[in-house]
Amino acid sequence: MAKKKDLDLASSSAKVKLGVSDIVIRTFGYILTTFYALACIFPFLIILGSSFTSESYLNRYGVQLIPHEFTLEAYKAVTKSGLIWKSYILTIAITAVGTLIGLSIIAMTGYALQRRDFPFRNVISFYIYFTSLFAAGLAPYYLLMTQTYKLKDSYLAVLLPLLMSPWLIILMKNFVKSIPHEITESGKIDGAGDMRIFVSLILPMLKPALATIGLFMALGYWNEWYQSSLFLSSRVDVKPLQYMLYETVNSTEALKQTVAGQYITVTDIPSNTVKMATAMLATGPIVLLYPFVQRYFISGITVGAVKG
Amino acid sequence: MKKKLFAVLLAASMVLGLTACGAKDAPASNAGTTKTETTTEQSSASEEAAPAIDTSEHVKITYMFTGSKPEGAAMDRFMEMNDKLNEILTEKCNAELEFYWIGWTDYLSVYNMTIAAMDGSIDLIGTASDWLDAWPNAKNGAFLELSEDMLKTYAPQTWASVPAENWELCKYDGEIYLIPEDNYAQWTNHGFIYRADWAEKAGLANGVHSWEDMTKYFEYTTANADALGIKQAWDSDGTQNTQLASGWVASHTNFVPIDGICSSALWGGTKDDLYTVVTPAYTDTDMMVEYAKMMKSWNDMGVWKKDVLNNTTSTNRDDFRVGLVAADQHHTQTWTDLCSPTPSNKIYQDDPNAKAGFFYFGEETKNVVALSITHGAMAISAASKNPERALMVYDLLRNDEACYRLINYGIEGVSYEIDENGYRINPEGYNPDTDNVGGATSWWWGRNDNLELRSADRAWDQIEALYDEYDKIKINYPYGQFIPNCDSIQGKIDNCNEQFGNYMKQISFGLYTGTAEDIVAEMQAALKAAGIEDVTAELQAQIDALYK
Amino acid sequence: MGKRNKTAASAAPVAKKKNFFQLLWKYRTLTLMCIPAIVFFFMFSYMPMPGIWVAFVKYNYRKGIFGSKFVGLQNFEFLAQSGKLWSLTKNTILYNIAFILLGNLLAVFMAILLNEMASKIFKKTAQTMMFLPYFISHVLVGVLVFNFLNYDTGFVNTILVKMGLERWQPYADPHVWPVLLVIIYLWQQTGYSSVVYFASIMGIDGEIIEAARVDGANAFQKIRYIILPCLKPTVVILLLFALGGIVKGNFGLFYNIIGTNSMLYDTTDIIETFVYRATMTDFNFSTASAVGLYQSLIGFFIVMVVNFVVKKIEPDYSLF
Repeated sequence: MAKKKDLDLASSSAKVKLGVSDIVIRTFGYILTTFYALACIFPFLIILGSSFTSESYLNRYGVQLIPHEFTLEAYKAVTKSGLIWKSYILTIAITAVGTLIGLSIIAMTGYALQRRDFPFRNVISFYIYFTSLFAAGLAPYYLLMTQTYKLKDSYLAVLLPLLMSPWLIILMKNFVKSIPHEITESGKIDGAGDMRIFVSLILPMLKPALATIGLFMALGYWNEWYQSSLFLSSRVDVKPLQYMLYETVNSTEALKQTVAGQYITVTDIPSNTVKMATAMLATGPIVLLYPFVQRYFISGITVGAVKG
Repeated sequence: MKKKLFAVLLAASMVLGLTACGAKDAPASNAGTTKTETTTEQSSASEEAAPAIDTSEHVKITYMFTGSKPEGAAMDRFMEMNDKLNEILTEKCNAELEFYWIGWTDYLSVYNMTIAAMDGSIDLIGTASDWLDAWPNAKNGAFLELSEDMLKTYAPQTWASVPAENWELCKYDGEIYLIPEDNYAQWTNHGFIYRADWAEKAGLANGVHSWEDMTKYFEYTTANADALGIKQAWDSDGTQNTQLASGWVASHTNFVPIDGICSSALWGGTKDDLYTVVTPAYTDTDMMVEYAKMMKSWNDMGVWKKDVLNNTTSTNRDDFRVGLVAADQHHTQTWTDLCSPTPSNKIYQDDPNAKAGFFYFGEETKNVVALSITHGAMAISAASKNPERALMVYDLLRNDEACYRLINYGIEGVSYEIDENGYRINPEGYNPDTDNVGGATSWWWGRNDNLELRSADRAWDQIEALYDEYDKIKINYPYGQFIPNCDSIQGKIDNCNEQFGNYMKQISFGLYTGTAEDIVAEMQAALKAAGIEDVTAELQAQIDALYK
Repeated sequence: MGKRNKTAASAAPVAKKKNFFQLLWKYRTLTLMCIPAIVFFFMFSYMPMPGIWVAFVKYNYRKGIFGSKFVGLQNFEFLAQSGKLWSLTKNTILYNIAFILLGNLLAVFMAILLNEMASKIFKKTAQTMMFLPYFISHVLVGVLVFNFLNYDTGFVNTILVKMGLERWQPYADPHVWPVLLVIIYLWQQTGYSSVVYFASIMGIDGEIIEAARVDGANAFQKIRYIILPCLKPTVVILLLFALGGIVKGNFGLFYNIIGTNSMLYDTTDIIETFVYRATMTDFNFSTASAVGLYQSLIGFFIVMVVNFVVKKIEPDYSLF
């Protein structure tokens, strides 16, 4: 551990001279990052531009950055049935609930598993990690969920399986490890139980970790379509956003690729512009989540609280 | 009371059948005569069976099928039809029908998994032996065995209307598993749909009737693309690779493929010798080399886009409707739509000379096989809680005029009207977005030419002319009873299918490098390595056991 | 204050059983904190496991998994007989190695760079933009790539033509795709992956950094001697974790970009896409399970070996 230095924060943040290396790195960094960031947003803008282009123009000339023959047809088609707004509410609800519950459990588990004095931690770690190596496969999983747990057509079938994953637990464990053991020690000396230590002392220090893992979980829920495709049948009217997008974009592909396509004459193909519009609507809000979460990525742990 | 009702229904449907038939082809009237003969036996049978049917409990029958569920206002309309239908069903057999859609996304996996779940939530299952895995599911125990007694008692009209030899084709291991849609004129043989008016300009006064003609047609349309206003001769998306190959084989041999083994229809017999298994796509080198050469010439002409194999965003069919492409590749049923002056086929509104012809594969060799009767079939889930009532509901949907019209067309006056010639037309104020109720029920497993109402916007004279031509040269699907046991060779079949598909993607679109002879030789070597000859031998052994 | 048998080092073998329950009691809070996770994995991961048996039977819907007929390794034949097993496995593993190594490298690189930026607004905006590709579903990525690279109307070719150069047809050339696919993957994933490393850097004690600055360290030294070592545990653990999935391919990415273009299969076909094509034409629970089992076994073996080695070298970094 670093020795405590006499640091007068006021003076240190005032005039810190920038070394040459700093300037080099920063310039290099700015250029590279800008280039990369633009490369990331460019395709997005193309989808945006195409969603406002007319279908006939799109089919003739391919996707566009700048909308030609500007039209709102695609968006009208997508929002016509009003189902997409309900889908928004559903997806936000599932994301919020799932993230909260999952994050709490993962944080607790991550903390417990990195405690050196916890004798069962290796066994439990292996128990959890093993599930990422060995999956039973689709068939037994599907039968279990539908026949035994009777979760077909239930939103729980989407919420529950995503509550945690071995990767997130291991990640959390790793984050918690960087919190000095002394904090737990001092809490114990003060007579607090493990839970109390966790909630009052550890959690506040885990802000970056909680933000990161919370973000990943939220993204996982927002983007999820696989569980929906397996367990939410046509009996369920309102489906999560990404699954709606997936259905819109894929239904015609399915017919084209398979034997069915040889026999069925489908007349109701969602146009390419509708696919673009659905993509924009499905992605929109979550993009704003990151800036919101970013402020939790604060630096520094107040080591000062611990007396060596 | 019940037997009187059945007799009346039978009589009514017979009368209707005879009047609506008009200039219909032979099969329908055959069905009519079979009906009259069996009526007397039928009514006596129902006299004994009727008292045993207990309909005191009101049950819900769930009908599962592939299709898109309507949304919003369209759903409201749909429910109107559903409610009316349930009124009739409740009155006649104290049941109601629930529609359960399997959306087109990943439909095959979702369909099969829903069946596999066996949780008693579905009763009627719309299936097909050629595109919905009917036989594999039957073999896996998904469908209920339908005994003669069951069918006679609970679906008497259907039982009587399907001839005995057709029931034989629906059996596996001696038990009936499927109810065939065998009384409905439908052709799903493939070919090229083209613009007959443009073909005339290309010098083909009689239309396109061979692959060479097609080449000439493409030469003309690619050279005059701008003048004709098209963006591409044929904006293919690359998925028709094996279909084209099968078409070439049909046009140059009298090969009859066996359905249901693999999607590329590699194995089959010939018209002269149905029970010797051959694989002309593999063995007939000269024919395939000629094919590869012709396809390369089409590629060089620019018939399709250079990156055709990744062209997933193409909308060729819709483009044909508005005159942006010169050809589409699909089956007769699609052509009956594209050749008709429907509202979406703008070419007929824009150009009075526009006409869509159909060059069917096998036209040169007169090699056409009628559709297998289990192309559309109804099965009952083995886990169904009310199989008897499900059969009764099916019987009504297939044979009762009121139910038939509701499930196929919607509510009269709202979704359709009948004009003075007995054709279906759109009523005043018809809204295609919400009122096309019949399109949402996918009732492709129980249609009945006796009760069909033809749509007025189809070009029936052209369609019937083609049907007549087919009837003169067709043969019935000869392998209906052959359900191969593929367990030991499934791996090889899948690999052959994969290899063939991979090579056809390059050959059918002329994208291969090197000579035609080389690529065909390469394909043959790959198929041999995948075990095609072993599969042929195994299938031959099974065919021998069954037919010889 | 401590309990009598607190040191486990010299525990008497006789009292082993008692020790367990006493330990359990002593650490009951921590154990309880783990219980929800334990239950979760039991319900959703361990309960289905016996169902792996389906890979060895001919599945009959009425008889269920355990009542169906046992057929030994017949379901694995399809994969073995294709003659492609080796090339598919090779492709899958090689792509994954490229994805994992390059992916993490780039993510660490970006995280470090971003950390050096002074402007908060720039950081926030850049990171948000970098995140965007992750949200674009693979289907759309496939469409975009096609629009970019296709021969007739592709963006790249339009520019090449304007510059007077020859057109390029990548969709007919299998050799360019390993590079293209890696680039596309990196483009999509880097923003997302860098967040983990960024958060780790944020978690580094600010005092250490200040101390180093006061001591006169320049930026490069700061990165080399402080940041990188602090990131090392995270990198190692993520690498190890990724190893378990090394035989499992990224189906969405490959399927939507390559599609069914068989000319490119030699260098781009992975296990998942191959099985998917087979399943489309012949839906078979058992075959799909057999393939999954094959992948799991290989991954399991690799991870066990590597974790064992890592434990010997640096026990702190091992997964368990």
